[in-house]
Amino acid sequence: MHSFLDYIRLYFIIETQYIKARMQYRADFIISSFGMFFSSLATLGIFWIIFNSIPELAGWTFMQLVFIYGFYMIAISPMQILFDHIWQIRFHVQQGTFLKYYFRPLNMMFYYMSEMFDIKGLTQLAAGVAILIYASIQLGIDWTLLRIALLLLTLFSASLVQISITLMAGCAAFWVLDSYPVLGLAWKLREFAPYPMNIFDGAFRFTFTFIIPLGFVAFYPSQLFLQPQDVSPLVYFSPLVGIGLFALTYWVWTLGVNSYTGTGS
Amino acid sequence: MKSYLALLRGSYMVGLVYRYGFLFNIAGNVLYMSVTYFLWRSIYQGRETLNGLTFDQTYIYVALGSAVFILLKTYVDWQLSFDIREGMIATYLIKPIDLQLYILFTSLGYCLMSLSAITIPTFLLLIFVFHIEIPLGVGLLIFPFSLVLAYLLSFCFDYFVGLLCFYTESIWGLSITKDIIVTVLSGALIPLQFFPDVIQNVLMWLPFQAIYYTPLTMVAQPTLGWETFLPMLGVQLFWVIALFGLTRLFYDQAIKVLRISGG
Repeated sequence: MHSFLDYIRLYFIIETQYIKARMQYRADFIISSFGMFFSSLATLGIFWIIFNSIPELAGWTFMQLVFIYGFYMIAISPMQILFDHIWQIRFHVQQGTFLKYYFRPLNMMFYYMSEMFDIKGLTQLAAGVAILIYASIQLGIDWTLLRIALLLLTLFSASLVQISITLMAGCAAFWVLDSYPVLGLAWKLREFAPYPMNIFDGAFRFTFTFIIPLGFVAFYPSQLFLQPQDVSPLVYFSPLVGIGLFALTYWVWTLGVNSYTGTGS
Repeated sequence: MKSYLALLRGSYMVGLVYRYGFLFNIAGNVLYMSVTYFLWRSIYQGRETLNGLTFDQTYIYVALGSAVFILLKTYVDWQLSFDIREGMIATYLIKPIDLQLYILFTSLGYCLMSLSAITIPTFLLLIFVFHIEIPLGVGLLIFPFSLVLAYLLSFCFDYFVGLLCFYTESIWGLSITKDIIVTVLSGALIPLQFFPDVIQNVLMWLPFQAIYYTPLTMVAQPTLGWETFLPMLGVQLFWVIALFGLTRLFYDQAIKVLRISGG
């Protein structure tokens, strides 16, 4: 068995080589980072346009939504950067190349995901940090050490929620072969995460809180910083939601990996 | 012409293979339409009109926009870049056909597939599940023609980005950037009336609005009448001719730098 530190060291070795290989396509990297930057700002642009006509949306000001959006962009970045290989799983499963991941004395999820490191996702992360800082200055949020610790903890949990939802959709490949439509749906849902959850009626709010917990990617944890005096008790569970959900996802992944029988050729 | 129609039929059949993907697409669309319903309800919050549009008009515009979006996404850029990378492009170039028309008719087959599998079901859902009443007006008659022109315009943009791959040999970044520019500036996500006046005036002079804003307005406000819609259709036609011409000229340039490694 490898220790946690071994894995971290290994990850650095693998990614250094990967990045060297990718850097051969420098133009691709620059254009992709550019595209990533624009696509991550599109929803924010739409919010800005909407707020030209109305003063507030369901009780939230524009700057508060900018804060939630910055939080969201940071929270979705680890999925983008570290777990991007999930998009390829359908090819590996269909063509049988997935078998190779069984033959190394490594954790399979680690081995599989380490084969891709999405550099352009770093642009998204940087933009998210900039937006979050800008919004919190505008809103006059007082960053005490305790608040910063809380922010890091909630961001960690929120990113686990996003990772879990996407991986769960990708795992469908083990049972239905083509997981692309399922992943595509999860991807489309992701866009709703920065919306204020209180615009939704009962059934939808319930779904986005308990069944596909998109609310925990950005909206619920952000409330701890935007209006700390009146948050629902639910919000305090957000660190646990991420860890629990990831554990569940890991279990589903293990089930999938164990049930996979290859293609026979 | 006959050979091009055969291409259309072929790609329609290929599309049929991915039937179960359409279920997820429709499910995704229904979810999207529901979420936008809640979003716009909160935006209107009992207000009668915003920027001259009622809630119903805006909602028809946005919800139909999501269905039309799937229809107008040709994936021609991805297809071309794949063909270039794999060297398949060489096999098209030696055939006695026109590359632009070849790709157009192949993509039309997929388009008809999504029209029957996604857009029409969405349209029916809009009427029967969301109980949206679409007022009858002359706009509904012109809408199909406008949609065809919009498709040709969307095709030109995708084809142009695909040709850019002759130079860059990468597609993700270019295609994403194009998608964002087109969806935001064309009013695919939000009616152009909501944009600040200055930006609106600029956008009206660009080809993007002819892709989404024009056909969607014909269904959202069908009673505006011939005198409004005919000029809009004329502008669309102008852009189709202009962009088809420009992409053909660009093709003549791009083909010179094409390098094919193996095949």
